[in-house]
Amino acid sequence: MKILVALKRVADPANHNKVKIPAAGDKIDTAGLEWQINPFDLYALETALRLTEDGKAPKTRLGEVVAVTLGPAETETNLRSALATGADRAIRVDTTDDALDGRLVAAALQKLVEEEKPDLVLMGKQVVDGENNYVGQALAELLDWPMATFAATIKEEAGGLLVGREVDGGVSTLRVKFPAVVTVDLRIVAPDSVRSSKTAEGFKYPYEEVRFAPLPAIMQAKKKPLAVKKLADLVGGATLSSKYVKFEAPPARKAGVKVKDVQELVQKLATEAKAI
Amino acid sequence: MAPTVIDARNLEFLLYEQFGVESLTEHAPFTDHSRETFDLALATAHKLGREVLWPPFREMDQEPPVLIDGRVRVHPSIRALLRECGQGGWINADVPVAHGGLQIPRTVMTAFRAILAAANYSTSVFPALTAGAAHLLASFGAEELGALYLPKMYAGEWQGTMALTEPQAGSSLSDIRTRATPTTEGHYLIHGQKIFISAARHDQAENGVNLLLARIDGAPAGVKGISLFVVPDRRPTDSGLVDNDVTCTSVYHKVGYRGAPITQLSLGDAGDCRGWLVGQPHSGLRYMFQMMNEARIEVGLGATAIASAAYHAALDYARHRPQGRPITSKDPAQAQVPIIEHADVKRMLLFQRAVVEGSLSLVLQCTHYSDLAQTLQGDARERCELLLDLLTPAAKSYPAEQAILAVSQGLQCLGGYGYCADFALEQYYRDVRIHTIHEGTTGIQALDLLGRKVVRDGGKAMFLFLDEVGTSISEARGVAGLGAHAAQLQAALDRLTAVTQHLTGLALEGKIDLFLADATLYLEVFGTVAVAWQWLRQAMTAERGLERDPSEADARFYRSKLSAFRFFFAYELPKVEGPAARLLDSDGLTLKTEEELFA
Repeated sequence: MKILVALKRVADPANHNKVKIPAAGDKIDTAGLEWQINPFDLYALETALRLTEDGKAPKTRLGEVVAVTLGPAETETNLRSALATGADRAIRVDTTDDALDGRLVAAALQKLVEEEKPDLVLMGKQVVDGENNYVGQALAELLDWPMATFAATIKEEAGGLLVGREVDGGVSTLRVKFPAVVTVDLRIVAPDSVRSSKTAEGFKYPYEEVRFAPLPAIMQAKKKPLAVKKLADLVGGATLSSKYVKFEAPPARKAGVKVKDVQELVQKLATEAKAI
Repeated sequence: MAPTVIDARNLEFLLYEQFGVESLTEHAPFTDHSRETFDLALATAHKLGREVLWPPFREMDQEPPVLIDGRVRVHPSIRALLRECGQGGWINADVPVAHGGLQIPRTVMTAFRAILAAANYSTSVFPALTAGAAHLLASFGAEELGALYLPKMYAGEWQGTMALTEPQAGSSLSDIRTRATPTTEGHYLIHGQKIFISAARHDQAENGVNLLLARIDGAPAGVKGISLFVVPDRRPTDSGLVDNDVTCTSVYHKVGYRGAPITQLSLGDAGDCRGWLVGQPHSGLRYMFQMMNEARIEVGLGATAIASAAYHAALDYARHRPQGRPITSKDPAQAQVPIIEHADVKRMLLFQRAVVEGSLSLVLQCTHYSDLAQTLQGDARERCELLLDLLTPAAKSYPAEQAILAVSQGLQCLGGYGYCADFALEQYYRDVRIHTIHEGTTGIQALDLLGRKVVRDGGKAMFLFLDEVGTSISEARGVAGLGAHAAQLQAALDRLTAVTQHLTGLALEGKIDLFLADATLYLEVFGTVAVAWQWLRQAMTAERGLERDPSEADARFYRSKLSAFRFFFAYELPKVEGPAARLLDSDGLTLKTEEELFA
């Protein structure tokens, strides 16, 4: 199986207080931010690795995983880290963060998919910076491929996947045929969430997170192919179709108040907080 | 979420800007590596620290290991770490390729281990102990012997331990009594008792591999009759693992560092404990000292790492705890200020940084000499080896002794809460106490430094050290703003030289007891001067950084580095005066204090 994994870099969510908005409010000030791969996209990478191995003998790779990102040269650090974690090769589409929106990313990915012809495109269900949840669906639409979003379990079947999706009130199970687009949710990295065609019955991974990069793979990562493409070569003269009007920091938390009894609490919850 | 326990920017500063570890990759045996490899390795360490080591940190202290049915029950996260380190290649990472390793520079792996140790020191020792034992076996054991054990140890499946101490032989290893009786089948039968054995017989590894010191029957008395053996808990045979008569008889209750068990072992109770000789008979102590010297630097690192975690915890508290008002403006209507605004709290925080970052620099200086030696030949190589050898007792003891004081000041920043289990400081305070004791107490390090390393070969290593520090002082004289500090360090270095001459003079007169009576004070002076040298080097590196038109964040980092540097020279370096004066006096006060005078 050949899988293309789309990765987006985001400001380290653990350091969210470093995100600054200039007085003009026209952009996010990215100076000094620490970047890392969007956690949901990392789960997609882990899913791709699990789908292309027998969990009992993960050193033998049974398919190809291609990691893709769009961004400036420094995003190659993120791609190298994906290569060290186990991806076979990587593609960077050279551009800057402010030259992108979801629609352009989906259009660029469409061209890459047409060139690479993967059986499956995986990515996170959303990004943790702008909380957008768009590119996977848009890409499936552009490709006219079947799609399954918010995957919590994936089982490989002949010619496709059986995907358990987390939805309000339960799990919806979809059968998708290759080629397909799947976006993944947090629980996809649980020990027994992903089953490739080689995964033995009852096998569980001994961890429930994204795997650690082993030193031999870290040493090989710099030798793995990393291609660079120009955004314009993929999307021509297409321009941004969405525009950010203004950025504002969330309002600072207000001081609390003391209520004198339960009655007042209930009343405030109902009328002021409108929580009940 | 895991808190900050170590400053990643400072590690980068030391590795790349101060020691230039990237340039090691231009030379064999490090040419397979690059800055990219190092960055990814450190990123993995941070992730392991956050996800595997930190979460059970408090729990492991509250529920220490217990002995159940002959096995020591330790926290299950230890299996996860051993597995990750095994599968990740981190146990054999800095082992030479010829011994099955990946030969990443030791300096980088030392930074890697610092990150793990800061997240949870107890857990971090398990893979480190296996690495030390495996390295010993790989260096001196026969190839067939290594082939039986090393792959399993490198894979993190078998736990390595070091079995040296016995009830009557701790600091005095020459008094070891454990016996090894030769058999006609190639192995020896082992009989004896070992105490204080870390990480032995625990339940999160499939097997234990004890590197053990014993005397072959009829061996000469003293250190010249000690041999090194591999004694597995369960021995590998054609039909699988067979019990090897190694019994854990108790687990010690400790002050801190409680996640890692320290055990008592009884060997050969049923007469069937088999050991295999490593290398030549009667050479065990020499072999063991290779491991021991490496382990001593790891101890300095462990102390530094705990003090680093404690510093970050104290800093976080000091920034968020409002208490009191500026001394010049006591208006009660004014809001209270965070305690970091008070000069005395700043002093305590600066002291912690001065200790942590000075110690880390000294430890990495040692491992950098070790790496450089690998890339060099002849005299240049010998120079690095001698400096490493000389600095090792200081790189163990300065961090170990000062980290106790640093963590104590961290605890002090929290006032009453520092003394309570609501915050981690009390645990760091207990955890850090081990380091002046294990792998040779401070007293033993002092004898090693003054009695052996300073005087060996006519003081050759000491002259090299004076030359190294002198070179840095000359460089610093040319840097604007550092001239006075350079002069201050030169004066301290002259003082150290005078003290050394005075003491070696006593040795030449045959007054050996007087020469060594206050060796610990000598170690204190030597260590402080060595760390001051490291601070001067860091200051020069920071000044160079500021000249390169740094980003705002980098400029702030360099300025903060310089402020901790100035603190060290103002508050810490002057402390050498007291012990130096005492050492020059040599009235033999302690020697003359008879036992009966201890009322």
